[in-house]
Amino acid sequence: MTSSLRAQSLIALALMLLVSALPAQANPELEALIATNMDQIERPSRRTVGPLIKQIAATGPEGKAMLAAWTDRRLGLTDDGRVVIVAGDDMADAATGEAVAGADPKMLRPNSGVRGLIDSALVAGQISDPDRKIRVQALDSIARSGSEEHLAALRNAPPDPDPALQARKERLETLLTIQYDGDPQARIAALKEMSGDVGLDFRAVLNPLLATRRVAATEAPGDANIARELKPGSDELSRDAAYELLKSQELAQPRLTLAAQRDILIANIADGRVGGIPVTDLGDPQARDRAYEALEAAGTVTPAATEAEAQEAIDRHRYYEIYAEPNPDVTEAAKSAQTRAQVRLAAMKGIDLGLDALSFASIYFLAAIGLAVTFGVMRVINMAHGEFIMMGAYTGYVVQTLIPDRTLSLIVALPAAFAVTFAAGVALERLVIRHLAKRPLETLLATFGVSIALQQIAKNVFGTQARPLTAPEWLEGAITFNDVISISTIRAAIFVLALLFLGLFLFIMKRTRLGLEVRAVTQNPGMAASMGINPDRIAMLTFGLGSGIAGIAGVAIGLFAKVTSELGQDYIVQSFMTVVVGGVGNIWGTLAGAGLIGALSKIIESLNPSNTLAAQTFMILFIIIFIQFRPRGIIPQKGRAAEA
Amino acid sequence: MTRKPFILRNPSVLLMLAVLAVFTAAVTLMSQAYGSGAVPTSMVKVLGKTLCLALAAVAMDLVWGYIGILSLGQMAFFALGGYMIGQWLMYARTEAIVAASLAQAPIPPTPLELQEATASQIFGVVGSSDLPMVWSFAHSLPLQLLLVVAVPGLLALVFGWLAFRSRVNGVYLSILTQAMTLALALWLFQNDSGFRGNNGLSGLQNIPGLDGVSQARLSIWFLWASAAALGLGYVLIAWLVGGKFGSVIRAIRDDETRVRFLGYPVEGFKLVVFTLAAMITAVAGALYYPQAGIINPAELAPIASIYLAVWVAIGGRGRLYGAVIGAVFVSLLSSWFTGGRAPDLALPGYVVKWVDWWQVALGLSFVLVTLFAPRGIAGFFDLFTRRKESGS
Repeated sequence: MTSSLRAQSLIALALMLLVSALPAQANPELEALIATNMDQIERPSRRTVGPLIKQIAATGPEGKAMLAAWTDRRLGLTDDGRVVIVAGDDMADAATGEAVAGADPKMLRPNSGVRGLIDSALVAGQISDPDRKIRVQALDSIARSGSEEHLAALRNAPPDPDPALQARKERLETLLTIQYDGDPQARIAALKEMSGDVGLDFRAVLNPLLATRRVAATEAPGDANIARELKPGSDELSRDAAYELLKSQELAQPRLTLAAQRDILIANIADGRVGGIPVTDLGDPQARDRAYEALEAAGTVTPAATEAEAQEAIDRHRYYEIYAEPNPDVTEAAKSAQTRAQVRLAAMKGIDLGLDALSFASIYFLAAIGLAVTFGVMRVINMAHGEFIMMGAYTGYVVQTLIPDRTLSLIVALPAAFAVTFAAGVALERLVIRHLAKRPLETLLATFGVSIALQQIAKNVFGTQARPLTAPEWLEGAITFNDVISISTIRAAIFVLALLFLGLFLFIMKRTRLGLEVRAVTQNPGMAASMGINPDRIAMLTFGLGSGIAGIAGVAIGLFAKVTSELGQDYIVQSFMTVVVGGVGNIWGTLAGAGLIGALSKIIESLNPSNTLAAQTFMILFIIIFIQFRPRGIIPQKGRAAEA
Repeated sequence: MTRKPFILRNPSVLLMLAVLAVFTAAVTLMSQAYGSGAVPTSMVKVLGKTLCLALAAVAMDLVWGYIGILSLGQMAFFALGGYMIGQWLMYARTEAIVAASLAQAPIPPTPLELQEATASQIFGVVGSSDLPMVWSFAHSLPLQLLLVVAVPGLLALVFGWLAFRSRVNGVYLSILTQAMTLALALWLFQNDSGFRGNNGLSGLQNIPGLDGVSQARLSIWFLWASAAALGLGYVLIAWLVGGKFGSVIRAIRDDETRVRFLGYPVEGFKLVVFTLAAMITAVAGALYYPQAGIINPAELAPIASIYLAVWVAIGGRGRLYGAVIGAVFVSLLSSWFTGGRAPDLALPGYVVKWVDWWQVALGLSFVLVTLFAPRGIAGFFDLFTRRKESGS
């Protein structure tokens, strides 16, 4: 040993002495155990080492420290027959705790089976440890990879003082019972107890229990736990799949595929002929078959199963799905538990879907309400409505660049967006729409002109890149109810916003002078005018109000979507649909329309989550058909105004 | 009482045919294939495409200007026509290429192998190698030509029947046609709908069996075909709206309820006009896309159909030559401005780049036309002829 190394170990020794100021504890019981079981410690066998491990664990903290070192492969055997715990460069006697210097121990490397036993013995100690943190860790490790030994440990452990941990412990014990208990009745009882649970851990336990494999046989296998018999040619088992199964069990010859036939024919071309048939004729499938049969007859190629043979083989066999779990009672119980879990899961997913649909509906409601109001009052569809939404979103973005505090900027952005789009709406009404009264189709096109102009202006000013509109921190994250049900905070906030506007709108319409006049103009403009109401002013204000709400919707949408010049386009069609489905002239119609569109788009999406394009296609088709039955929407406008 | 012949009653039809003939002859004489070469092949294609758009605009005028349905879904029929002819163009050409490459193989391919290789060549981009059901007739030109009018016609028939019988009209109907277009576009965008998703159909400018013919010649042939289609379509529609049928549909435009009470089957008239217009539009599309070379679902974007309406409105709706003028004028002007060839406009403190600002100018000019010139460009002719047109 070099001098530097010696110096190092001296320093280490000094340090150790300093740190472990209390004298190393000797454990004579452990010492005796080690002395008598040296063979087992050196070459442990999974079958026989169990009792020894339990005895070591029972000797106290030193024994546990030794076991921990053993399973970590930090336990060594010195030449003079002492068992030492190695930590970096230091060694200490496992039984006496004395530091050992200058030894060169042989490291013990127990196999994984032995280590599993040691681990469970340790866990058994840990789950009754006085330190709560250690108990939690122990339960975590059991939940991660439970084993048969853990089950025994859990059963023997004293009740946990912490009720939450006790509940968790009981749950783990039940789960492990299902997996490892030798008594089928106990497993079935445990399954019944857990039946209908939707936890991921329980579902993970059920899956291997209900795992099946497919078997083909000429008659039913008597001893196996058969899940069901499959008919070849059914949806579950196509005839091709059945033949593949036969092939994999070597019950049938491989069939000759067309590609294989072609390759074999190519390999046997001789003098421009295959099996006596000229190569140029082989574009015909029947000629290929004849050539192949000629080769078979000549013995050049092995005979392959013909189509008829293959079909005959398929029909001769029967096909079963067999559970890996041999006990039918257990699989039966597992199946009913799974069914109940699935039903409950579906219900929870339904609730989650409902929440999502609600948030969609509130967005559509905010986006469409302005459109519905202007259509109701003025019989005008504003194609630039989507661009007003976009303007609102960009207003939010600009405000955010001016005011760095996000909460404050959001508070400023909402009225600012309302003001900007209100002004734009009033300007559009005064400059364009007023002059096109009684020509609704031309209004459609004129406002469309405004729409493409506004869109391009936004592109020129803000660029084509998406601009961020970041939500304040208190709006980030999600409100989570359990594993399945959750909703992002922003969407919940938008729902609240939509409710707020519904209330505000109802208040304006039912309780203010403006609302009264708006309703009067909606019902009969001529009569309203003769009663001293100025329809032009009302039209202007309604249009401004509708546009202003579009601006607010823009800020709300911008919080979760990217702000681009095409933002409005993405929502305008849904807004139209909402108005068309809901009917005009009544805010409840818009609400119903938004609810229907929101729910529908969410439901279709959940049926086929990978394909949002298909979802939108089906939704539009549904609306076209819906219009057949309620051409004027869910809540149609009544009276003379409807005929205008 | 003898009626004057159709042509004499409608001098504008004769004038339009004459202008069309002179235009086609002039372009031919200046083309690279048959004349001096003053007009490059790419320009010939632009002109040919413009004629197709003009035909679509004439059909649009029939449904909007004459019977009063502002259909925002005409481009759906246009693109469907293109897709139908594109199927044959792409399939036949790919099959020829695949057959040529399989001819090198040691043994000749079976028909099944040929079809599978062609399918995997066409649908490789969308990760499929099976020929979808909708391509069952792609091998046959006559069948696909039939589908060019049959598929859009059927779509228009079904949609129109559903919409008209439930008395959906006005703005509602416009929105519904737009929704139909959007639904179709979204469906075509999917890879598994069988039309190659957003890749669309490409290589349509190569006509199978005409490999030896240069693009310069082909472009002139297509120009002739487009001009002939426009002429025929124009005469057909002019004849249709010139007679009693035309009076009824104009009456429907002006007061639907009154016509219904007079005992006319309003829905039937609407359905006939809507379906006929869809078929004419589809023919225009079938001629347009081989000149464009590529078709994809973006062509069905709702905005494209609105542009068609814009052209008709700017040209002057309710008269057929207005639609032609609008389509030709605005589409050529648009491609000139957005092509980057228009000189920048230097304002004090800002240089207006037309590539960026043309859309704005178009949008605003559209507002101005609807506000101040509801009869469109064609309305200016009235200033000279002092004609009292019943339309508009």
